[in-house]
Amino acid sequence: MNKAKSKVIKAKSKKVLNVLITYCILIIVAFIFFFPCLWLILASFSKSGSIYSFDGFFPSEYSTDSFVTLFTDTVMYNYRQWFFNTLFIAGMSCIFGTLFTILTAYCMSRFRFRSRKAMMKTTLVLGMFPSFMGTIAVYLLMTQFNLINQHWGLILIYSAQAPMGYMVQKGFFDTIPYSIDEAARIDGASNFTVFVKFILPLSKPILVYTALTAFTWPWSDFILPKMLLQDKNLYTVAVGLMSLGETEFARFAAGSIIIAIPIIILYFCLVKYMINGMSAGAVKE
Amino acid sequence: MNKEKTDGLKARGKFVGFFRSLPEKAKKKFSGTKEILTQGNGKVCASMCIMGLGQLLYKQWAKGIIFLVLQLAFIAYFVLTGATDLFGFFTLGTREGNAWYGVEGDNSVVMLIMGIFAILMIVFYVAIYISNVKDVYKTQCACDTSKNPELFKSEVAGLLDKSFYKTALALPVIGVCVFSILPIVFMILIAFTNYGGDTIPPALVDWVGFQNFAKILTLGQFAPTFFKIFGWNMIWAVLSTAINYFAGLGLALLLNKACVKGKAFWRAFPILAYAIPGFITLLGFKFMFSYGGPINYYIQNAGNPAVDFLGINAQWTARLIGLAVNAWISIPSTMLLATGILSNINTDLYEAARVDGASAWKQFIKITLPYMLFATTPVLISQFIGNFNNFGIFYFLRGGLYTEGYFLASDTDLLINWLYNMSIDNNYYSIGAAISLIIFIITSVISLAVYVFSPSYKQEETFR
Amino acid sequence: MRKTLSALIAHVAIMLAVIITLGTLGIIASNIQSAGAEKFTGELERNVTLRILENDTAKEQGYLAELLAAFNEKYKEYGITAVDANMDQYTDLEKGGPYGYGPDVLYQANDAVMKYTEGKHILPLPIEQLECFNYLGENAWKAYTSTFGEQQYVFGVPVNIQQPLLYYREDLLPQNWQTDWDDDKNGLPDMVENWTDLFRFSKQIRQESGGSKYGYMKSLNDGYFASGYFFSYGGYVFGGEDGKDTSDVGFSKGQSYKGAKIIRQLASCMNLECTEDTITKNAYSRLASGTYFATMTTPDVYTLFLKEMVLAGYTEEYARENLKVIPVPKLPVSGDLEDESQGMTEMTVMGGVNGYAVSSYTKAPNAALAFVNFATSYEMINRRCELLGISPARSDVASAKGGLNETINENLDKGVIYVMPSVRALAQVWTPLQTFCAILADDVLNQKNLYVTDEAFKNGLANVDKQIYDAIHTLAG
Repeated sequence: MNKAKSKVIKAKSKKVLNVLITYCILIIVAFIFFFPCLWLILASFSKSGSIYSFDGFFPSEYSTDSFVTLFTDTVMYNYRQWFFNTLFIAGMSCIFGTLFTILTAYCMSRFRFRSRKAMMKTTLVLGMFPSFMGTIAVYLLMTQFNLINQHWGLILIYSAQAPMGYMVQKGFFDTIPYSIDEAARIDGASNFTVFVKFILPLSKPILVYTALTAFTWPWSDFILPKMLLQDKNLYTVAVGLMSLGETEFARFAAGSIIIAIPIIILYFCLVKYMINGMSAGAVKE
Repeated sequence: MNKEKTDGLKARGKFVGFFRSLPEKAKKKFSGTKEILTQGNGKVCASMCIMGLGQLLYKQWAKGIIFLVLQLAFIAYFVLTGATDLFGFFTLGTREGNAWYGVEGDNSVVMLIMGIFAILMIVFYVAIYISNVKDVYKTQCACDTSKNPELFKSEVAGLLDKSFYKTALALPVIGVCVFSILPIVFMILIAFTNYGGDTIPPALVDWVGFQNFAKILTLGQFAPTFFKIFGWNMIWAVLSTAINYFAGLGLALLLNKACVKGKAFWRAFPILAYAIPGFITLLGFKFMFSYGGPINYYIQNAGNPAVDFLGINAQWTARLIGLAVNAWISIPSTMLLATGILSNINTDLYEAARVDGASAWKQFIKITLPYMLFATTPVLISQFIGNFNNFGIFYFLRGGLYTEGYFLASDTDLLINWLYNMSIDNNYYSIGAAISLIIFIITSVISLAVYVFSPSYKQEETFR
Repeated sequence: MRKTLSALIAHVAIMLAVIITLGTLGIIASNIQSAGAEKFTGELERNVTLRILENDTAKEQGYLAELLAAFNEKYKEYGITAVDANMDQYTDLEKGGPYGYGPDVLYQANDAVMKYTEGKHILPLPIEQLECFNYLGENAWKAYTSTFGEQQYVFGVPVNIQQPLLYYREDLLPQNWQTDWDDDKNGLPDMVENWTDLFRFSKQIRQESGGSKYGYMKSLNDGYFASGYFFSYGGYVFGGEDGKDTSDVGFSKGQSYKGAKIIRQLASCMNLECTEDTITKNAYSRLASGTYFATMTTPDVYTLFLKEMVLAGYTEEYARENLKVIPVPKLPVSGDLEDESQGMTEMTVMGGVNGYAVSSYTKAPNAALAFVNFATSYEMINRRCELLGISPARSDVASAKGGLNETINENLDKGVIYVMPSVRALAQVWTPLQTFCAILADDVLNQKNLYVTDEAFKNGLANVDKQIYDAIHTLAG
């Protein structure tokens, strides 16, 4: 009797300890990831533009000036315009890129056609190329297609290159049981219907992941827009921020904080799909 | 006979068998062509001569017109620019421009890239031509056996069903061909030209064969630095991939624990890191670890001498900081990915394991890890490659430094940084392309081997 | 079989015929050379738009808007309008120009501009036609001159001179400087006239403040500013008559090791931040807060210092009065900051000349030339000088302004300003130089003391030369 009780207590205390350690680790992890961001946030509220007027991590004086100037002082740095440019490019690239990637991954996972293995190996190998020279080629191509200084040119490139990274999604589709497809096909559904009606609802986590990556890549990319957009009014935020002067750190920080916001909002909107990906409707074996 | 030996023999058998079966395979492949050539009737001939004509004769209007239009479009392309572009690929231009007097010359590099584009178009054309002939032959067979040929409508329906993959893959394949494969082919070909240095347009570029490779191989200063950097590059790639992968997975598992309340909240912190563009992060960390940065500020306030985190003396501290910063940047996305994949794992497996009394660690080793590895081997490989070629980290953290004992490089530079220092920064594009081709061959051999022997490639069906 | 095969062959033959005929035609067509024509006919194009690339400060301070408005007003009758190209100030013309995306007129530093001449991306200018022709010195024009074949061409019109200057806070001078720190009694404190006194003063400040304040501070690893110490003792970047012979790298030439010694000595009165670019960036706020007494940088950032001083709580008037900008101090001939026995010598500094150039791809070269002529007129340069605080290359404006502007203008003529060589290979100079300077500073601050003998300095510099040479030539043709 007593023994059993002490066992229960032992198990309970073990559990409590487990929870305690878990939370400790979580707090440490949260701190590690949060601290540099916090520092950036504080910096954006610094009164002096220079980062070197700080006492260690903390600005010596606070003000919201940098946020105000960010949106009002548009003669040299038209942040508002840049922000909407980026939003447009990233949004469009996200839609097309996700579509292409998911389609590619699904086909590679579910269909067995002749050139499949060859295609898989080719894409894997090609992904390994150091991409320096590639950018020169992309630039030359765009001059020939008359797509320099055009947002659609960037969207085209981002969407077209996105399927190269289909492997993650293919890995995911591989883990969805075949029995779902088979059951649906017995009911007379076409492959397209199977994909749209049965597979896609099960793929929310990976859809979210794909969409987030397809969005954040153009959102924070620097190299391509720097190369393809020459007019300052067409800049994306990343290119624009890099052109800020040395004593403008507070503004730089404010600009970086603001471009992080949409991604965070996006995350909070999508997080529940990601966690409850495999919920109602799935076939339980 | 031990197992290794049998495996070896098996592999050898497979190898020999592969080559023995080659002629047979070729025969099989060509038998279809032969069949069409011998059995094809007049309408097939018509389609062979002019795309779509046969289909029209069979009264398949829509299809016939589509093929005909495609044929015309291709001819128009070749008349307008294609043919000239194709020839330009071989000559790379013959007349030099002189912008002072408005003399328009040939731009060799553009000619090269448009030449590759023309070749790509020819490949597309041949593929369409073949499918055109095959299609009309299929109709002929159907008519011969007095079955009704497939209606256009049902064929379109088939594009959403049996051959859905063709529809779905068409755009992505074209996109990847033009914007990913074409640039890479361009770059490979650049390695065989003299593009770079003083020879950049408007000067004319020429093919030089293997001259660039010969130049690299005969350079004496090269080898010692190459092996030093290559060694560190391998260590870096392995370590950073492992750290990012396991830390990301661990974080996802930790957040998946039943006892963690407010998962979305806790998960938001790494997302915060994910939301800030990488170059901003790198600039921030560089500042933090500099002599004038906040970390040294506190160290000095506490009365200690400043620490050289990223400066000239800081080989290993800089390397470790590089690893840590890379982890900070990459872990969130690995965590997102792992969360997504873990949510799809079959919970029955865990239940069964629990009933059997398996410990949490055992469950991880026996169920979670194999599952994750299976689903993410390709990702792991691409992350390995991404890290191997990670240009940004040390360019931002510790650029503009040469270390003693290294030829034009610092002791934290990766091969790609070295490549940049030597060639791109200096405009020696052709040499740069040649060196990256060499790097590429090394990395691709490694990762292709890993991939082909990985469970996710060998047994794609295991987890069904 | 025969029927089908012949159909197939017919198709292939037709397509091949199409490709081969047109391809050959293309080659033939491309072999026909068009003659081309001289672009500067003197006849202004009508109804054209000129895209002007100016630098950021000109835009920020409103000078560009003024310039464009004045020009457009004057050329209204021709229908010529000049607009802001609205591009990055460092835009590479070579990249976008040939494809029609570049500006028509660009304002950049001479090394950037002259890089474009290799591919003939900018036009040689008929400079005798310009109003400013007689008012610009030989050395200013030389920065934009290049030889093609036998002929010499000028590609740009100099506007302003960039050279390192000494910035210091007059209110931080010791009370008694007039009696104790002005040996020559010329009304200028010795510590901003001679590096030896500046060094002594810096040491004194550090000692008195207990290490919390500094005298002269500068990121010593910055090659652009550090190279001056080598030039002053006979070093140079590239040899040859025009300074463009990259096979002769000259940082170790002459007695340049003395320059290296001075850099190492200067480091001893700073802190480890001088081995990286920290001081370059924090000098604005630290000078404003009084932590630093002086620093060296280019004239165009004057407003940034003012801004920080105002933020630090001073009135703008006070800031303008006490923030002084003067030519760099003199160096001791001995190469030792504690030994004035051999007298002083003028310090040679690396500088540049910014100016206008005309893109070869402009549709309206004559209008562009008219713009350059207008923008380099006395009135516009004078206005530019007032608004942006630049040092004009035009001697008439410089002498009218007097003071520092005149000195800088004379310095260029005297050759104390070493104009940045206008060759692409210059890009390979910085990393080796930067590393060596950081090593020197680190050597004294971390007490490694590897560089004490003259031999050690000489070897270090020889190694710098070798690295630069290797970087340029190892992979070249």
